[in-house]
Amino acid sequence: MAPQTSRTALVVGGGDPADSVGVGLLTAGWSLLRLGDDPINDDTVAVAFPTLEHLDLVVHARYPALCRQSRELTDLTAEQWHAACDEPLEAGIRLARGAYEPLRAAEGTIVYLVPLMASAGGDGFAPFAGAAEGLRVLAKSLAKTWGTDGIRAHAITLDPSAFLAPDDAAGMAEANSLHDPPLGRVPDLSDEVSLVVDALTSDAFGVLTGASLVVDGGLWMPG
Amino acid sequence: MSGLLEDQVAIVTGAGQGVGEGIATAMALAGARVTIAARRSANGEPAAQAIRDRGGQALFCRCDVTRREDVDAAVAFSLKHWGRLDAMVHNAVSPPGPPRPIQEVDDETIASQIATSTTATFHCAQAAFPELRTNGGTLILLTSPSGIEGSGHLPLYGAVKGAQRGMLKSLAREWGPHGVRVNAIAPVAWTPAMDVATEANPTLEARLIGRTPLGRIGDPTSDIGPVAVFLASDLARHMTGQTLAVDGGRYLGL
Repeated sequence: MAPQTSRTALVVGGGDPADSVGVGLLTAGWSLLRLGDDPINDDTVAVAFPTLEHLDLVVHARYPALCRQSRELTDLTAEQWHAACDEPLEAGIRLARGAYEPLRAAEGTIVYLVPLMASAGGDGFAPFAGAAEGLRVLAKSLAKTWGTDGIRAHAITLDPSAFLAPDDAAGMAEANSLHDPPLGRVPDLSDEVSLVVDALTSDAFGVLTGASLVVDGGLWMPG
Repeated sequence: MSGLLEDQVAIVTGAGQGVGEGIATAMALAGARVTIAARRSANGEPAAQAIRDRGGQALFCRCDVTRREDVDAAVAFSLKHWGRLDAMVHNAVSPPGPPRPIQEVDDETIASQIATSTTATFHCAQAAFPELRTNGGTLILLTSPSGIEGSGHLPLYGAVKGAQRGMLKSLAREWGPHGVRVNAIAPVAWTPAMDVATEANPTLEARLIGRTPLGRIGDPTSDIGPVAVFLASDLARHMTGQTLAVDGGRYLGL
């Protein structure tokens, strides 16, 4: 894909998959803005990037550490539940609110990256699955609402290994019979997943919005 | 469905009106002893009385599902008055407000929708689990077609209802080995909220019915309630992690 230096992407979330997808977008020629796992308020985008007038792409993958730790629901405290589910769900909603104006100015795209557990469930990951599935569905709602503003919205489901420690990801793979990807590999986040994100912003996919894509090399084929 | 839930005890949140009241009524008429867990006695008590008037067993317990102590108290109330708990039905949700895009949704609405959906699901699930495990019981969540296909009118509502589905599938995996089933119902039915919406938009009812293959909007007691009875009964003993759309065929693409 030919580099396009004039486009600006905001990638939100600490660690992977945000880090690696951000690297891939940089390589593809995007100007990259980064936010980590810090709290998100309505003015977070405006405060962090005060000169930003338009935004071509927002990639959300903000799932703080407590989301990614396996723990049965019965063992969670109220504070842990809030930190692992309610707060990240609310932050993803607030990000959409705060990004609306700069996305509208650029007729941009917002993409929520979610783990397989969002739509398939995960033993020990109820709060993570809850927050992520809420955001996956939010992408569809944004697509419906913002389409007339020229903004497109999508969700991309990734293999659990994009979010979890190797042992936990292996457990998810086993629970969902995710073995032997048809394409021979799980996609590389920086070299391959970022290209899918990039492609979703292109004119070639201009008619596509509200998509819920599974980008995992064919491991999981729902629906 | 008389007798299907004989000897069972259920808590239904938000059962003072609408879908919750319909489910509580149907479960009671199927033989369950039902705790009407509602925030306001003004509708919770009459809902319980209406069930008793029809020969069912129901008691009102004041419960704000956003307060953990209230949910714990509803479980304790059920154990004290009925002696056990087999089904926790979480239906309560705060009003989503008028249709509007996400950038116009205020902080208070976001907080209340999350509190009554994800936080309250956590409260209900964790508080009920010991009894559900003991009795091989079930957790039933009321979600929405909006939580599956999103909503252009109520994007926040779609997000929190979608979040409940992610939770239920995870809990189905987590609690299956304990013999506890977790399922959801996504209804389209006449509720006080639907009444308000159709009054505000006179063409809404005709449009909804026109897009519904079965040609009508569901009744909380006779259309939605029996599905909850089925899910709580032994007939559904091999079902978990599922969402049943009870919408007259309105959303066939889910």
